[in-house]
Amino acid sequence: MKTINTNNRTSFCKTSRSSGPNRCRQIRTRLYEAVSNRLGLNANWVRNHIANCPRCRRRLASVGKVNLALSALKSQPHKLDLLMRANTQAIGVLKHSLRREPRAEKLRAILPEPKLLERCGKYSHTAANVAACIVILLLMKIGVFSSVDKFRDQSQRAARQYYANHVGEDLADEIFTI
Amino acid sequence: MFGKAVSYELIWDFAVSETVEQSQRWILSAMQRHGQELVTMLWRVLGNEQDVCDAYQNTFLQLAHYEAQQKPEHIKAYIFRTANNVAISMLRRRIAEKKKLSAAVVAGKGVSSPTSELDSEYLQETLRCCIAQLPEHLRNVITLRDMAELSYEQIGRILGITPATARVYRCKAVQLLAVWMNKEKETKP
Repeated sequence: MKTINTNNRTSFCKTSRSSGPNRCRQIRTRLYEAVSNRLGLNANWVRNHIANCPRCRRRLASVGKVNLALSALKSQPHKLDLLMRANTQAIGVLKHSLRREPRAEKLRAILPEPKLLERCGKYSHTAANVAACIVILLLMKIGVFSSVDKFRDQSQRAARQYYANHVGEDLADEIFTI
Repeated sequence: MFGKAVSYELIWDFAVSETVEQSQRWILSAMQRHGQELVTMLWRVLGNEQDVCDAYQNTFLQLAHYEAQQKPEHIKAYIFRTANNVAISMLRRRIAEKKKLSAAVVAGKGVSSPTSELDSEYLQETLRCCIAQLPEHLRNVITLRDMAELSYEQIGRILGITPATARVYRCKAVQLLAVWMNKEKETKP
């Protein structure tokens, strides 16, 4: 019995490995979505309960208050030169040799820089517009060329038909096969 | 002979100081790499620029004197944990001083009115007070996640726990903070 179980497990592992990590990720995402839909705060039965239960309502309100306070903390900006001042003060207590380093000089005058994602964020609209233009151009190009080909084929067929009717099939074949 | 010995000693001293200088340059590298994140975290924890500078200085001073001026294995983890501890100690001291000096003024503020409850300053101060009272493991996670905005994976590496544990700790910390903030509201007249 034990051997069968082990075999089963091995075969399952093999299949799951063969399906790849993408499949696992998909399943995980679906499971998470399903669970959060059924058990999340936005689920209907949870909402109904909260609406009727003062205790849960109070708890939810207090958690909301904590989140609000955390957001308030995050949104509070500091002065631009704070990093510079902090560096200057910290370097001031290091060894003389370190204080004289060129890198220390740079740190004393450093200003906070936005992260790479934030820096790229402002170009996202431009990038999206450019991408959309490229796609439109590609579509136009494909559409125009395929239409030109189609138009040429149809006109050739019509001309061949005309010649076939008026001068005969043989002559039309001769003209249009060259 | 004596002159030779003195000159050798001078050369030796110079060589030693050179190596120390070389070996301590990583402090500046660490400052350059993590300084910005650290200042942001300290600012959010302390909310006072001079305190931020003091805590930052203290952190790097401790780093420079770490075990006979040796480089710690995980600098980021060391810096963030030290900064966190320094900031919380400062915060606790500040809260205690405030309580001692202006108990009457704080009581006189009358925090019960809805306008003051929605006051962002008051909310932030209350949250800071509550965070300072949290148990260390929960406090570390909430400061690293919400103040330093690190990912759960990074927090796990810094604190030596799994990302899932960090998530659970944050959830517990928020629940505890919610209860305490509510209690504080109820205790104030």
